[in-house]
Amino acid sequence: MAKIEDPIEFELFKNAIFAIGDEMAVTICRTTYSGVLRDNMDFSTALADANGKMVAQGLTLPGHLGSIPAALAVVVERFEGDIGPGDMFILNDPFDGGMHLPDIFIFQPLFHEGKRVAFAATISHHSDVGGRVPGSNASDSTEIYQEGLRIPPLKLFEGGKRNETMWSLIEKNVRIPIQVLGDLRAQLAACHIAETQFAELLRRYGLEKVDIYMEEVIDYAERLTRAAIAELPDGEWSFEDWIDDDGIDLDRPIRLFVKITKSGEEMVVDWTGSSEQVKGAINCSLSFTVAHSVGAIRCVLPLNIPSNEGVFRVIKVIAPPGTITNMVLPAACAARGLTGFRMGDCMFGALAMMLPDRVCAASDGGNTGVSIGGYDDERKPYIYVDFSCGTHGGRPWADGLQGNSNMFANMASQSIEVIETEQPMQILSYELVADRAGAGKYRGGAPFRRDYRFLEREAVLQVRSDRQKYRPYGLYGGYPGQPSANSLNPDKENRTMASKITMEIGYGTVFRHELAGGGGWGDPLERDTEKVLMDVRNELVSTEAAFKDYGVMVDTATWTVDADATEARRAAIRAGRTGETAKVMWEEPQMTDAAKG
Amino acid sequence: MAKFRVGADIGGTFTDLVLLGHDGTLHTKKVPSTVGAYEVAIVEGLSSVFDSAGLQPDQIEEVLHGTTVASNAILEHKGARTGLITTKGFRDVLEIRTLRMPRLYDLHWEKPPPLAPRYLRLDVDERINNKGGVDKALDLDEVERVVQRLLDEKVETIAVCLINSYANDSHERAIKGVIERMAPDLLHCISADVLPEILEYQRTSTTVINAYVMPIVSNYLQQLSARLGAAKIDAPLLLMQSNGGLINAAVAERKPANIIESGPAGGVVGAQALARKLDLPDIITFDMGGTTAKASLVEDGEFTRSLDYQVGGGIMIGSRLMSGAGYHLKIPAIDLAEVGAGGGSLVWIDAGGSMQIGPESAGAMPGPVCYGMGGEEPTVTDANVILGYLNPDFLVGGELELQADKSSEVFQEKVANRMGLDLAHAAYGAHQIVISNMIRAIRAISSERGRDPRDYALFAFGGNGPLFAAGMAKALDMRRIVVPPFPGLFSSFGLLYADVEHHYSRSMMQVLRDAEPSALNDIWGGLEAEARAQLTADGYRPEQIDIRRTANMHYKGQIYELSVPAPDGDFDPDKVAELEERFGVEHERTYGHRAGPEEPVMLVNAQLIGRAIPDHPPVPDRLKVMDSRTGTQSSTRQAYFGPELGWLEAKVLARTDLASTNLGGEQTGPIIVEEYDATCLVPPGATAKQDDFGNIIIELPE
Repeated sequence: MAKIEDPIEFELFKNAIFAIGDEMAVTICRTTYSGVLRDNMDFSTALADANGKMVAQGLTLPGHLGSIPAALAVVVERFEGDIGPGDMFILNDPFDGGMHLPDIFIFQPLFHEGKRVAFAATISHHSDVGGRVPGSNASDSTEIYQEGLRIPPLKLFEGGKRNETMWSLIEKNVRIPIQVLGDLRAQLAACHIAETQFAELLRRYGLEKVDIYMEEVIDYAERLTRAAIAELPDGEWSFEDWIDDDGIDLDRPIRLFVKITKSGEEMVVDWTGSSEQVKGAINCSLSFTVAHSVGAIRCVLPLNIPSNEGVFRVIKVIAPPGTITNMVLPAACAARGLTGFRMGDCMFGALAMMLPDRVCAASDGGNTGVSIGGYDDERKPYIYVDFSCGTHGGRPWADGLQGNSNMFANMASQSIEVIETEQPMQILSYELVADRAGAGKYRGGAPFRRDYRFLEREAVLQVRSDRQKYRPYGLYGGYPGQPSANSLNPDKENRTMASKITMEIGYGTVFRHELAGGGGWGDPLERDTEKVLMDVRNELVSTEAAFKDYGVMVDTATWTVDADATEARRAAIRAGRTGETAKVMWEEPQMTDAAKG
Repeated sequence: MAKFRVGADIGGTFTDLVLLGHDGTLHTKKVPSTVGAYEVAIVEGLSSVFDSAGLQPDQIEEVLHGTTVASNAILEHKGARTGLITTKGFRDVLEIRTLRMPRLYDLHWEKPPPLAPRYLRLDVDERINNKGGVDKALDLDEVERVVQRLLDEKVETIAVCLINSYANDSHERAIKGVIERMAPDLLHCISADVLPEILEYQRTSTTVINAYVMPIVSNYLQQLSARLGAAKIDAPLLLMQSNGGLINAAVAERKPANIIESGPAGGVVGAQALARKLDLPDIITFDMGGTTAKASLVEDGEFTRSLDYQVGGGIMIGSRLMSGAGYHLKIPAIDLAEVGAGGGSLVWIDAGGSMQIGPESAGAMPGPVCYGMGGEEPTVTDANVILGYLNPDFLVGGELELQADKSSEVFQEKVANRMGLDLAHAAYGAHQIVISNMIRAIRAISSERGRDPRDYALFAFGGNGPLFAAGMAKALDMRRIVVPPFPGLFSSFGLLYADVEHHYSRSMMQVLRDAEPSALNDIWGGLEAEARAQLTADGYRPEQIDIRRTANMHYKGQIYELSVPAPDGDFDPDKVAELEERFGVEHERTYGHRAGPEEPVMLVNAQLIGRAIPDHPPVPDRLKVMDSRTGTQSSTRQAYFGPELGWLEAKVLARTDLASTNLGGEQTGPIIVEEYDATCLVPPGATAKQDDFGNIIIELPE
């Protein structure tokens, strides 16, 4: 703090610079075209200093935490000496600063009297960047070259003049250029807002102070993070979780393994021991792994810590190259979101070992991506891309949230009525499903199902889901959630499908996806019987499951709990359990036949 | 005998009453709210004004009312037991919402419980498609079974919202018929009547909210009418809507969703009217009380409306992005941005050594430390006492003695020492930081919409607004501030300026350039007929009826709509093109860019406002204030204005001292204007005067 003469003025500066990040985000959100951006809010904004160190990130997607510094570092390194006023940089190459191809970064250097003083940064998930599958998010691509247009760090504008070669190259390589170019314009507009407002800061405080204050904003976040981490216990904790498969090698589960070491004011997150990179497109860039590692830790830290470089100084993330957590060429990565969400679950598992009363059980495993795309009879392309996620694990103090976005992708669902006016399909069902949540003193959130009925002649259906084989774990006595499920034409053939799908479908095909249920927390026999009664009444738990899992006998005629029968049943279950209750449960506990009920 | 109009505004703590005569005679009264039976405070407060001013009940010709009864029912979950009937497969639209969470990294966040629990949400096996065709017909026997189940569950009200009913409402109307047949006295509503617009979650939520507050609002308005009647006040009762227009009590009972944000609307309406008189077409209103600060924009003499908002979303920065905290209402409302900053906001130091303010508030109890009612945590009001801005001895009305020493003691220990600052600098810092927090509210309604605050005057009211207005204006480079008379009662005073207004809308959801002009005529014509019928029933003559059309549009593929005025009269291809052009212009203005002419524009909703123009201007230019309280004696006080200027001697004046005939008129700061209901701060270098309408006009130096 030595450099800061007036802490009050500094506080005012801090408010102002974070407001710029937020205002950039609002600009993208409100002017964007594609559903992915407008509803899923799959974008982020930030302001960085002249060297590319992130000072203020706008309110946006946790999965993008820390991705901007990584990308900006590449731009600064590559173009140093050749960065001038009116330049705008673009990139999406995951092997050169990017994350996966649909995420396009746009950076604008900001100048003051000829000197570079800051960068405005945006990243947006675009609805299509070409490649072999509409939406560019296939999970069954096996190398980056199949996934679409790969843009190394380049100038999209030079000295204020648009690089028309680049612009038209993008236009010709994406399926719906109106959307992609529209969304790029939204990113440019956000940078423009930052430019105007940053100039205002310079006018008010002068360059010298702005430089000092930007540094101090970073130091401030570092101090807050250190103070918060110092409060946590020292030690080493690890956790292992498995992804069903990569959609290519269907018999080979994929291991995620993390070790958290906490000592004094610092933490190290080490993914050594995780699976080698896989053929399917679920490999992660290091920056994506960092985002999910740090994002999970933030959930056990106080909420008022700003997101910037200061946080990353305190939390180190190790991920060996060539693994699914730090891929190398030619890995495919379009559907890497799946792995990111599961790294989040894995982090929560390790944190739950460290802090038993602070962390929830496993969520549904993150969002399921469904895309349906093709050409109509007039050969006009359409793409429907939808990410569904919906349920959290039970918490040490309350049930898991249901009908709620995953913690790592704060996205919104698209309106059914809008989908039906814009896309050749109907949604036939979008509702919670009973008896799929993990039982617990605090149960997991109930998952929902979504039925899509396709109404064009033909299309390619792409599905990226998981948690069919490895269920969402329960914690400290809580049962795991039920697995996810995919099926075709559930009211007719009801054909069960694997978790990852790429197939042709025709008119009238109905695809059903059911999310996995959230894991439970704590022994279900300790659940308040009134809560069980309410769940039965709300048809989220059947009377059978109330009896079998919770040991609660509900009288549905009077909507009361039969206390005697409940006590007897709970005693029988307790007596019938064999073995110790594990801290982490992947299957329901073993029981004697008599107690199975 | 002179006739009076009454503005009555209920807040959580106080009920504010303003009585205005045709000749400009004005009486005001602030009485404690009577929670649980709010009508009691209104009628008793009026009776006491009658007594002291020698008025008769029959002199009252109109009672205009702003109330938080409906929003409180939602915030406190005290609405009616509500059943919902929906389409099979979509029972959980209300609960799943949009999936989004309002907060990142917060495992403790709880989703607001649905206003209709799952076991009272029942579905029927029917389906309408997006073109309005019937894919699966409604089975009336099934409807009867479902309604009977809800009746057996003893619901007090039923909401009906089916998928795609915006395109064809016949199934909803059939269900309504069954409810009316089976339970003629049960309150109920269908989405086709409440909000015939696309977006199933927003429509369901709005319809359920309407049903949920219907019995409470209906009961309250009947009680109020009865009590007014018993007090021989036989005048029409009109309610302020969230959109800034008035409706009569009977309509409000049917569509209570329209009066949810009734409370803060009055101030904005009043500010708009006063600003027009002052020939200030562009103002930003700033309303700061004890716990929250609200800002809104008046542009070209018109306040702006947002298309939807969340009730009970809590107060947070960035709420426009991080939606999901409250209950969604897709009803036009005056566009207010709110932050949790007020006189009671707590001042604290975080782990990184930074001073933070709010959002926690000391509230009315225990209140700031200086109130001496048990408050131990420093607040913004304590900072203002330390700075000399607030009278150190008592709040200006004289009813509350202050303990300034205690403020200093606590502030020194908990803030100044920990930051290594002297007391005055620390308190000044708190004052400045509150300002920087509140700026976010103003940015949300101005620069986030492409408007530059420097082009606007700041119109400040609320108990704390006039105290912070100059600091806000300075931070935003705004030059002129207007502080109206009775700033602390301004929300009720503003009610007197409102007009009767009815809003209608219908979803179109089609590409504008492909629309048949005749279809557009049919839609807007139908809405206009509805508006004219309602206003005629309200007792207005045809020449008093003003009709305005607006269109909500976006580029095909976007989702956020922009609202632009639609042309009057019959549509032809030129007018359709003109409407499309208006959208492009507004998009460019708001977001700084527009798409090329090849990109189609979707017409999402046609909207129409029917407004009644009163025969006489509702408020005379000259007000005669009958409220005789001992004015503040002119004096001076030391006040602190930052490290550079330090402590200065500030003049302490009454508002009338700033009038042109008194003490030479325009004065230069530092000045502190003390009034019964608020304190106004004029910083060094700024000038202040009272204009002909009783406003304080503050000009800041370049």
